Amino acid sequence: MHQTLIELSPRWTNASGLEDTLRSAPSAHLSASSEVRFHVPKGCHLMTDAAVRLLSLMNQLDHSTRRVLVEFDEDESGVLGYLNRIGFFESLSPDVEVLPKRPIFSAAARYRGRNPSLVEIERIDRKRRDSTLQNRLTMAITRACTQRSDIQELQGAAWTILAELIDNVFSHSKTPLDGFAALQVYPKGNCLKVAVSDSGLGMLETLRPALRSEAPRLATLSDIDLLVEVFKRGLSRHGAGRGCGLKGCADKAIKFRADLDVRLPQVRVLLVPGKDGYRPNTAFCYSGLPLIWGTHICFTLQLD
Amino acid sequence: MSEDDGWGRVAGREAYGKLIDFVETHPGSLVFRVSLAGVHRIDISFASETIVELARRHRGRKGFCFVDLADADQKENWAAAAQRAAQPIMSWDERGKSVTLGLEPSQGNAEAFRFALARPETRAAEYAASAKDVSITNASTKFKQLWEQGFLLRREAAAESGGVEYVYVRIK
Repeated sequence: MHQTLIELSPRWTNASGLEDTLRSAPSAHLSASSEVRFHVPKGCHLMTDAAVRLLSLMNQLDHSTRRVLVEFDEDESGVLGYLNRIGFFESLSPDVEVLPKRPIFSAAARYRGRNPSLVEIERIDRKRRDSTLQNRLTMAITRACTQRSDIQELQGAAWTILAELIDNVFSHSKTPLDGFAALQVYPKGNCLKVAVSDSGLGMLETLRPALRSEAPRLATLSDIDLLVEVFKRGLSRHGAGRGCGLKGCADKAIKFRADLDVRLPQVRVLLVPGKDGYRPNTAFCYSGLPLIWGTHICFTLQLD
Repeated sequence: MSEDDGWGRVAGREAYGKLIDFVETHPGSLVFRVSLAGVHRIDISFASETIVELARRHRGRKGFCFVDLADADQKENWAAAAQRAAQPIMSWDERGKSVTLGLEPSQGNAEAFRFALARPETRAAEYAASAKDVSITNASTKFKQLWEQGFLLRREAAAESGGVEYVYVRIK
């Protein structure tokens, strides 16, 4: 039986680090192997954007009937404990094998909501709209960013951004798999990360067919350029009057100098604030990436 | 809305159904003043599916404007949705001052729009008489464009000459 091995790095790993790891391994979705093994070495610290993305990928692989194993070198004193605390294993498919063993008790269930610097991984279930999720995430952002002089404006903007992103999961994610959202504050890095992830088709897959008839010029753009246009100009499969949600998010986020990381099935764009709105940071933009279904977005905000 | 937050396209479409029912059961009303008192927050998708869609669909025939819209973030979201739909929506404060959310009038029509906003209704001849170097034909063209773009409403009235002229009505 052929196995695909994905070897994570023994260091702090954010979404960029995870992409480096995935690019150095065969595409787990596209390979013929029936088993995918993730090895998490000692010293690997997954940041929230990477953890949420990895969670979606593992659930997708499991859903595609592959045997999925995740093997930790450390016990709960390491990243296994952190993942348990943020609710990773609660949302991980029960069929994914965790080695040496899956935590017996969920630390997220026990301590959920008690750490103001964390919003544990929340499921976005397409059948059950939870309108309180964006409120909880917004409150966590407000608590974390009290040192910012623009905290009042940030509070309103954060709610809109999160509301749009979570609503987007419902609009684009035609999949039985749950989406996820989580937030983590990193005081030493002076930033917080909010990650929203789903396992749907990805927004370009739903957008491109509509563009071919309505805006053929845009339909010829590369995935990276088209993705930048979605956030800069606003494009929608629902026609010219729509598509303002993600553009509105970007217009708000840029006022607060947030970085915006967008990962689609095989393309990733890191948008950073520029003079005339967001511009892609080409050092972190890739097409032809190993397949991860869905849309995975992370905002990184400075705390002060 | 079942909650004080308006969130997302799905909730927006539900609210739109109720709004359109309300509008259709008041066929004689030209202007609908939408109070946002008690509305805590709305996102751009919700804005896009509700009042903005209603105003766009009834452009030129019925007008929709906001009152009690004080929150800056909410104002920005309504404006973003209206801009995307190329639709202007007026918001009036308690002192009677207005701001235009979304589409702004062109530079050439801005003065005519300000003139029309300052009075409940007006005619092209009145504006032509008050403005420098504006003929009645020119004033008529400006008002017609403002009506077509959704800034004003209009109705037909008898002109002094015996013919028919348009009376332009602000959306307030």
